[in-house]
Amino acid sequence: MYRIGVDVGGTFTDFTLLDEAKGELHYHKTPSTPADPSEAVGNGLADLIADFAIDPAEVVYLGHGTTVALNMLLERRAPTIGLLTTKGFRDVLEIARQIRPHLYDYTVTRPEPLARRAHRFEIAERVAVDGRVLNPLDLDAVESAAVKLRDAGVSAIAICFLHAYRFPEHERRAGEIVRRILPDAFISLSSDVLPEFREYERTSTTAVNAYVGPRMQTYIGQLRDRVTGYGIDREPYIIHSNGGLLSVDAAATFPVRTCLSGPAAGVVGAAAVAEAAGHPDILAFDVGGTSTDVSLVLDGRPLFTSERSVAGHPVKSPAVDVNAIGAGGGSIAWIDGGGALKVGPQSAGADPGPVAYGRGGEEVTLTDANIALGRLNPNALLGGRMTMDADAARDAIDSKIAKPLGLPVEEAAIGIVRVAASGIARAIRSVASAKGYNPADFALFAYGGAGPLLASDVNDEVGCARILVPREPGTLCARGILLSDQTFDFVRTILGRANDDGWQQARNAFGELESQAEEWLAKDGVPESARAYRRYVEARYEGQSFEVRVQFEQSIGSVSLQDFLTAFHAEHKTQYSYDIQERHVEIVNCRLEAVGETPKPPMTSGATASEDERSGNARKVHFGAGGGWLEAAIHDRAALSPGDSVQGTAVIEEMSSTTIIPPGYRAVVDAIGNLVLEQSQ
Amino acid sequence: MSAPESDRMIDAIEIEVFNNRVLAIIEEMGAKLVRSSFSPNIKERRDCSVALFDVKGRSIGQAAHIPIHLGSLKGGVDAILRDYPLETIKPGDAFVCNDAYLAGGTHLPDISIITPIFHDGRIKFFAANLGHHADVGGSVPGSISPSAATIFEEGIRIPPVKMVREGELDEGVMQLIIQNTREPEDRLLDLKVQIATNELGSEQVLALVERMGETAIDRAVDDLLVYTARRLKSRIAELKDGSHSFTTWMDDDGFGGDKLPLAATVTVDGDHMHLDFTGSGPQSRGGYNIMPTGVMATVAYTIKALLDPELPANSGLFDAIDFTAPDGTIVNPRYPAAVGARTTTCQKLSGAVFGAFAGLLPPEKAMASCHDVLGAMVFSGNSKKHDGTYVYLETLAGGNGAGDALDGMDGAHCHITNSLNMPAEAVEHEYPLMVEEYALVVDSGGAGRHRGGMGVARDVRILEDGTTFSGRADSYITAAEGYDGGKPGGNCRIVRNYGTNREEEMSPKQRLLTLNAGETVRMETPGGGGLGDPRVRDIDDLARDLEDGRMLEATARRDYGDEMVDKALSLSN
Repeated sequence: MYRIGVDVGGTFTDFTLLDEAKGELHYHKTPSTPADPSEAVGNGLADLIADFAIDPAEVVYLGHGTTVALNMLLERRAPTIGLLTTKGFRDVLEIARQIRPHLYDYTVTRPEPLARRAHRFEIAERVAVDGRVLNPLDLDAVESAAVKLRDAGVSAIAICFLHAYRFPEHERRAGEIVRRILPDAFISLSSDVLPEFREYERTSTTAVNAYVGPRMQTYIGQLRDRVTGYGIDREPYIIHSNGGLLSVDAAATFPVRTCLSGPAAGVVGAAAVAEAAGHPDILAFDVGGTSTDVSLVLDGRPLFTSERSVAGHPVKSPAVDVNAIGAGGGSIAWIDGGGALKVGPQSAGADPGPVAYGRGGEEVTLTDANIALGRLNPNALLGGRMTMDADAARDAIDSKIAKPLGLPVEEAAIGIVRVAASGIARAIRSVASAKGYNPADFALFAYGGAGPLLASDVNDEVGCARILVPREPGTLCARGILLSDQTFDFVRTILGRANDDGWQQARNAFGELESQAEEWLAKDGVPESARAYRRYVEARYEGQSFEVRVQFEQSIGSVSLQDFLTAFHAEHKTQYSYDIQERHVEIVNCRLEAVGETPKPPMTSGATASEDERSGNARKVHFGAGGGWLEAAIHDRAALSPGDSVQGTAVIEEMSSTTIIPPGYRAVVDAIGNLVLEQSQ
Repeated sequence: MSAPESDRMIDAIEIEVFNNRVLAIIEEMGAKLVRSSFSPNIKERRDCSVALFDVKGRSIGQAAHIPIHLGSLKGGVDAILRDYPLETIKPGDAFVCNDAYLAGGTHLPDISIITPIFHDGRIKFFAANLGHHADVGGSVPGSISPSAATIFEEGIRIPPVKMVREGELDEGVMQLIIQNTREPEDRLLDLKVQIATNELGSEQVLALVERMGETAIDRAVDDLLVYTARRLKSRIAELKDGSHSFTTWMDDDGFGGDKLPLAATVTVDGDHMHLDFTGSGPQSRGGYNIMPTGVMATVAYTIKALLDPELPANSGLFDAIDFTAPDGTIVNPRYPAAVGARTTTCQKLSGAVFGAFAGLLPPEKAMASCHDVLGAMVFSGNSKKHDGTYVYLETLAGGNGAGDALDGMDGAHCHITNSLNMPAEAVEHEYPLMVEEYALVVDSGGAGRHRGGMGVARDVRILEDGTTFSGRADSYITAAEGYDGGKPGGNCRIVRNYGTNREEEMSPKQRLLTLNAGETVRMETPGGGGLGDPRVRDIDDLARDLEDGRMLEATARRDYGDEMVDKALSLSN
């Protein structure tokens, strides 16, 4: 039996293959095919089937991280959607929260709304906050709006009425009318997509769902065809933004939930690998070509947020809390008007890429600095499939950075690395401090192609106790897909004081959510034994405008009001360092996460080479203030076994990444094949 | 002046690394302040700021929340250095202050906590933070009244006072302050968080001093300020030498009367710039005055926005620029003038600087005037959920000025504010109010080659008798000017019972107007000015605006001419 994880990235599509019989994990990469991403998925599947002589019928699981929704929002090539709103609220989607995106820079603008103003229709209808119908739904207005949208060729429509998070009746009736007039349209109701109060965020999330819907449905069709075309008869799963798996049907109905699919899988992978290694608390960073994603994992669980925005559009469906900054291997180094060295946020991307790629890139990038310093082996990238021009990188650094600053070329290159590392470090520290944590209590988890290359420089500024580098750090997102469970979130807004009456409302809500969840789990064929629920009550002190999330493992029916209040005060105190026992508490949302647990691959070391195969290679590598040019031992990662230790000065190379072990550091291979870097003195 | 020497060699790499370290500390302090504070104004609207100063009172860095706050923080540190000989300040002390005349504040709701950071027995730095507290006493809830005649009506005045002495909170000082406000419990929670925020910052700064060593950190601070000045000077040097002036207007000074000018003359001389606000109107009889520290912060904001949005926020900036604000005017009032409503004036002053810069900047950087006000609606009445009265403050965005390459932003804050709205669903849940409309104002964006941004309308229905409404805004008479042939933006309006037979246009400076259940009050904020001749607007853009209903056809015919409108309409059909 085989399990396959696939992560589609901008440049490469990554695969992990688990051979359950042998307990072996294999990694593979193939170039992405942006026009139809399922093509690369198919190509890679074909490679895997051929390379490992797999019988496709034995593939029991295929999980998939996709950027289809994300790219649609970044590229904005789809036509704008239609939107029906309560009368008086046509412009909510456009005014947003009325802030400008950059405090000082007026050339930074908000994204064009997903529904242009001409396609936003006000419908006479009004429900009060308590559900009283102040103004009945104007059925004719809905019909006429639908006809106009049909005539304008609009094929995706969002409907968002005030207070529909709790009173969805008007939205449902409007949806039926629109469906009658536009039978083939993709229709999203806010009460289905995000039944939570705060109209702008709900409208935005619903609009994103409608915007990406039609393309996502097409893509899922293509994906199914590819997969069945190779003889795999299992339905694929899609990773959604909270790191769980969704059936393709659910992903086609709620595509908004897949916007942050890839990064979420990476964090799930990081969390699982680190926890298995005995480090449940990590600060993880993933350095890619153009950006770095930073996240925090506490007690083996990634932190979640519902405050994300995607390409400037708020998306409130639950997501792994990933913070991106514009620093990656392709980030361009430059000197600003005051004479300081900067790295990014401009990037040379994959094309033309760094100078060393020899594809016409003329701007010095972080990758060029790493090549010039001997940290990256110009001949060993992607297992030798890609070579680099080290002299060109060095010359470019010399003329563009070193000479203008009056520095030797090595110092300029070290400067580029340090500046990039200090920016990434600042982002990591701010992720920890935003939640009130001290980095010294965490392990720093480095992944992505360039993460392990920068890890020790970054940690000089962050101050974690140790650094953890997983196997094949460049394909961790695909590996995370094999470590995910099926999950789906259900939510209900209460907005009531936490007294006997309010608590009863919350219990009733959980009752309804649980029957919804059971229905979903059954539909997705999750056996009873694999089902689990996580229950959260989001509440606040009256007068506050933000919520604290209190988690319950047990059924809410067995939690008394007093138990809840005690847990709430305690959680508030943990998060904000004080509580106010005498204040009334208000219940805002009841949230249920339904989980269908999937079998996981074993965590193995993956060592394949024997003792005497280890190479005795060495090359000159520059370690900056830590010693300048030094002879560094070069190790092949695949040749290292659990318990091996590598003393800095050294470099450890593998197909998707390179790890630097500076003087004074020591790397130990743990029982499941991770490198654990610690300062040795 | 902060720069030690102008030809100093700075370390290109250490500057960036050190700035990242300073920002990491400040951001950590800011995160703590936002995370732990209680009041929605600090917690959700993030009306707070954090900064680090050295022992000479030079600002080393500020977290980018609210630009105006830099003035109060700098003013507070200077006041402490003025009033307290260094030997009287002990490790573990922390100061509190807010006063405009005694502590360099810009208005009383902004309460600063300033904490000295000792190393080897000497003060090396100050950690400072500020929160806008929703009420600090005075004659009206919220403590801001355009018609306050003196600062004594605006709440409790706090000179620099030690609130923490060698680690011990002075409960008497704390009680004295919080009991002079309408919500003592909220004040107490937030002030304690402010104190703890500086403690966290102090620990982090000390760790950095230990790590780098005193000599290296002193050098890094000097380098950072020199670098900032040098970077700004290089931008100024790109401008042509000369002087340019611009005058913008407020409808009145808060007490009625004539229009009142805000004038800015910007002079470029090589790599130095001078801003002169001579010609601005006399001191306001109401609360619209800006203290010199507020002018300083406004200048810092405009310079960053116009010349270098990513310029580090520190005192190095003032080595490249200085300003004059004549005594006894609205930009430098005499004691005991009221200052609470200075935000509107700062907006207009920013607009004056932006206007003057239009003559200095290359054409591709030109920008028409933004709405340049801060529309505020304050409702108060009996709470439907809690005992006592509620105070609901909403600030409204408007239209921003058109640029050379872009239409102005519709419905967005400008200049020194950038705070979130309150969702209609949250308002209706919290207060006996109903939001009838929250929308862009048709016809409010000034016409031009690029169109000014559209203002915002918010129409609120009162559900309980005896609800009071106060409104603060401006540009009821004046408007955002267009640039280079662009047309002005729409005006501000306040309308009672809009769309009914009881409809009544009101003055935008309403103080405690009592409304009954069923009545509505509506504010429309001004739009932004247009840029360039409307008759050369891209025809597709005009067609799109017409299709999208951003203006009426008749208005388009007036501003763009029949020929263009006919052509645009034929495109869209």
